Amino acid sequence: MGIQNDRVRFNVGGKIFETTATTLAVAGRNSFFGAMFDENWNFQTENSHEFFIDRNPNCFSILIDLLRTGELFIPSNIPEKLLYREAQFYGLLDHVRAAKWGPFDGNQVRFSQAVMGQAPGDGTAIRAGPDGGCCVAHGSIVHVYDWMLQELPPINLDYQRVNDIGWIDAETVVAATSERLGRGRGGAALFGAATGELTHRFQVTHEDQVKSYTAGALSFSTDYKIFSSCKGRSNEYGIGVWDQITGQQIDFYYEPIGWSLGDADRLQWLDNTNCLLVATLFPRKDNCYISLLDFREKEHGLVMVRYRGSNHRREAGPRRDRYGREQFHLSRLMKGKMPDEPCYPKLALYDGQLFSSMNDSISVFSGPDWVLTSRLRRSYGGSICDFSIGGDRLFALHSEENVFDIWEAPPPPVT
Amino acid sequence: MNNNQKKRNFQIEAFKHKVVVDPKYADKTWKILEHAIHEIYNHNASGLSFEELYRNAYNMVLHKFGEKLYSGLVSTMTFHLKEISKVIEAAQGGLFLEELNRKWADHNKALQMIRDILMYMDRTFIPSTHKTPVHELGLNLWRDNIIRSSKIQTRLLNTLLELILRERTGEVINRGLMRNIIKMLMDLGPSVYQEDFEKPFLEVSANFYRVESQQFIECCDCGDYLKKAERRLNEEIERVSHYLDAKSEAKITNVVEQEMIANHMLRLVHMENSGLVNMLLDDKYEDSGRMYSLFRRVSNGLSTIRDVMTSHIRETGKQLVTDPEKLKDPVEFVQCLLDEKDKYDKIISLAFSNDKTFQNALNSSFEFFINLNPRSPEFISLFVDDKLRKGLKGVSEEDIEIVLDKVMMLFRYLQEKDVFEKYYKQHLAKRLLSGKTVSDDAERSLIVKLKTECGYQFTSKLEGMFTDMKTSQDTMQGFYATHGSELGDGPTLVVQVLTTGSWPTQPSVTCNLPSEMSVLCEKFRSYYLGTHTGRRLSWQTNMGTADLKATFGKGQKHELNVSTYQMCVLVLFNNADRLSYKEIEQATEIPSSDLKRCLQSLACVKGKNVLRKEPMSKDIAEDDAFLVNEKFTSKFYKVKIGTVVAQKESEPEKQETRQRVEEDRKPQIEAAIVRIMKSRKVLDHNNIIAEVTKQLQSRFLANPSEIKKRIESLIEREFLERDNSDRRLYRYLA
Repeated sequence: MGIQNDRVRFNVGGKIFETTATTLAVAGRNSFFGAMFDENWNFQTENSHEFFIDRNPNCFSILIDLLRTGELFIPSNIPEKLLYREAQFYGLLDHVRAAKWGPFDGNQVRFSQAVMGQAPGDGTAIRAGPDGGCCVAHGSIVHVYDWMLQELPPINLDYQRVNDIGWIDAETVVAATSERLGRGRGGAALFGAATGELTHRFQVTHEDQVKSYTAGALSFSTDYKIFSSCKGRSNEYGIGVWDQITGQQIDFYYEPIGWSLGDADRLQWLDNTNCLLVATLFPRKDNCYISLLDFREKEHGLVMVRYRGSNHRREAGPRRDRYGREQFHLSRLMKGKMPDEPCYPKLALYDGQLFSSMNDSISVFSGPDWVLTSRLRRSYGGSICDFSIGGDRLFALHSEENVFDIWEAPPPPVT
Repeated sequence: MNNNQKKRNFQIEAFKHKVVVDPKYADKTWKILEHAIHEIYNHNASGLSFEELYRNAYNMVLHKFGEKLYSGLVSTMTFHLKEISKVIEAAQGGLFLEELNRKWADHNKALQMIRDILMYMDRTFIPSTHKTPVHELGLNLWRDNIIRSSKIQTRLLNTLLELILRERTGEVINRGLMRNIIKMLMDLGPSVYQEDFEKPFLEVSANFYRVESQQFIECCDCGDYLKKAERRLNEEIERVSHYLDAKSEAKITNVVEQEMIANHMLRLVHMENSGLVNMLLDDKYEDSGRMYSLFRRVSNGLSTIRDVMTSHIRETGKQLVTDPEKLKDPVEFVQCLLDEKDKYDKIISLAFSNDKTFQNALNSSFEFFINLNPRSPEFISLFVDDKLRKGLKGVSEEDIEIVLDKVMMLFRYLQEKDVFEKYYKQHLAKRLLSGKTVSDDAERSLIVKLKTECGYQFTSKLEGMFTDMKTSQDTMQGFYATHGSELGDGPTLVVQVLTTGSWPTQPSVTCNLPSEMSVLCEKFRSYYLGTHTGRRLSWQTNMGTADLKATFGKGQKHELNVSTYQMCVLVLFNNADRLSYKEIEQATEIPSSDLKRCLQSLACVKGKNVLRKEPMSKDIAEDDAFLVNEKFTSKFYKVKIGTVVAQKESEPEKQETRQRVEEDRKPQIEAAIVRIMKSRKVLDHNNIIAEVTKQLQSRFLANPSEIKKRIESLIEREFLERDNSDRRLYRYLA
């Protein structure tokens, strides 16, 4: 890049822009500008020192400003989608993404937008993806959104009821579904997040025979294992374990009599201790269990500890998901006045902050004494049935209307 | 897909957007891009417009022609690589690698430019269709069409191995080119590097070093061989750092280690005239250090060295301690041990990097052979005695400490520490009583060392001896203060009052003291018993000394420093000119062995013969007669007449000491048994033996049969009983 003549003149869609090679270098080698200025390419300024690009000039001006200042200002007359498309052309989408919101902090997040879905209310679960997207399970379908909140092809597993969902990585979603009565299949499977295509089914084998099963709660360990509570048809209840990379079943822990592992509503992998916490709730009955499966003994010599409580007792367990975030879920069950469609309170621990959903708001507790420091509330959509933090965003799914809110921290101020 | 097909029957065709205006649009656009790729490979890219090409590729992807673009790329690139492959194949001899390297650089550049144009496809189309990204695709195609083409694959491998062989035989090769080619293989993926190069390279290297090590070992001595092995090892490490993958270092050094060291380890160590034993004998620190650093790289290498060293030390040590020549002089004997220890300490520190396991092996070897000679405890004590009597004169305090520390180190190896204690007590007693000790500090320092090593019990009696010496001084002052006036100018008496038990007791055989002395002794006795009631005082005349003033025939005056026995003999000659052996024996009642020794020292030592013996001979016979040697002369006024002492113990004395040691061990063994049984209540025979041995090993190695005897004795005395049902069990009786 010629330092002497640093100025660069563009004609973008008929509008003249002048900038410097230094500004364009911010785009990085792996971008349109980076390639254009590489010495391999004779950077031509044949027509009166002008370089023509056949693109939208308004978006170009926003993007060139982003390269100049590191800040993103989108005028109201430019649709975000248009800008994203242009950024995609130049290979600047990552820059846009980085400038749009900052590192997550529960005490700094602002409401960003609400996304309406076509499905009726009554969402099952929402899970934040690692790069700012999310997936939402409704009945038997999972809607997937990228970080630009464009909806991608939805996921379904023969339209079986979805019990839990999770992200393996930015490209892969796993869904746990119910077995259809009398029809077989169901279980857990992997899908491409971008394509919605089924890529792998997790199989359960009992005595060398592949069996159909209902997959309940999911959990992931840092050593690339997937756990799921499983209910088979002939009382094969327990916890199935698969390898995330090969997709093969590693193990199956049959539930001992009276342990209710296969019915578990929540699994949490405790990373530091190599234990799996299994929480089973019977909302209509007066009891719930938390079991601890100790995986420190490699073989089947598995130590199990069990806590038992009545429904008004708390049920809790920390977990670290595969992106290294500590999460914490807790359900407090209200005894007696059980609503028909209960929205259990949910807990999440993220970067030393505790998040707790209750009705239509999420409370943020910070510091060693867990003092209430913020409350995130939107009146629209009714109470929050699930929320999830990831990709520096918080997604909250409302139960009455099919709408989820996105909360994100503003980008750090440019100094 | 199934669902879609099923539903198609019910679907109303959606309104079709006319996305593509020109039906030939895709073909035309691809032609432009294909042309650009040709131009790039033909080094003719200067006329290409990046913006235009990028836009065209973008449009193709946008208009769903990604698949066409991608497959076009694959076939175009494959076409060019096949052309390139022909050019490389055609390169002659040494130009082959250079051509390959040049084409590789060209391909990399082209690949970069192609990727620039197709960046949009790379970012959007490829991930969503799970295709191989452009850069990786370019590498894979290069691998399949060039590196693994039948005409290049083996030629490339052979060329590389040939160059390495030439470098190993001393030629200079183009390392830069090697580095580039190897780097290429690594860029193509670890499996390409490993399969197409590393594996055959390791095999060829193993063969090379197998043959070479065989040649070396036939014609080199051990030291030279090790030097060559070390150089080869360093060469390989250097080669890896210059042009191979860093991960290969462990593998290739492993090959060299296996072929050059591990396979010949025993032969090297035991090599005649130059093996490890010779290195140790000749103190070849550099060679043995090299052996250490090379052998430590292979399994069992160090243990091989250690075993050879251990057996060598044990062998030479055994020879040393059983050599009858060496046994003649205890001081020399111990000095040899110390020298041997110094030698190996130095070898371990200089050549074996102070390896703890080697130090342990050295210690256990010393422990092994020192205890082979039952007289070692005595000799070590004699060595100390020698050093503390005379050897330390003019030596600085620090050097004294060094000598004492070395002695302590030998002491630690002793199994029969109680035997040492016995001898040490005797020797210390002699030093103290004769006032021969050179340095009180050194004496006390050694006692402190013994105390830290073996505990308070071990040294309490030794310390008691020092206390006695001090108290005696005070007593003598008191005696002369009260009786000084009435004694007049008679002989002066110095008494050392020794506590029974603290000192090595010898059956006290009193001799007849000269009358003037016995009077004085009685006075002291009554003084002492007057001040200390309830004590018994018995004279140990065998341990005393006396200073006599003597005038000889021609008036020569001398002061003679003699032992008490000698004094008794000499005083007899005040009243007689000639006395027979019998007469002397009768008059003095000195035990005959002592008397003989005493007369020998008075009459037979040249220069100190104050008496004359008839007939003249070396040994004393019962019918000899003795006269004063009137002609005695000496250039000194003071003449010290030593007793002819057997420095080493004579055979019967040795037996006696041994017996006394055995006798002393009995109560200690019994005490240990009782201590153990008191806490354990019930224990079987083998465990008692083991525990007693363990408890006592800081003092001596208890003999199992002796322990058994002690147990029997304790059963007799009803400290223990045998269990009624199991006869092997003992029970403690409280």
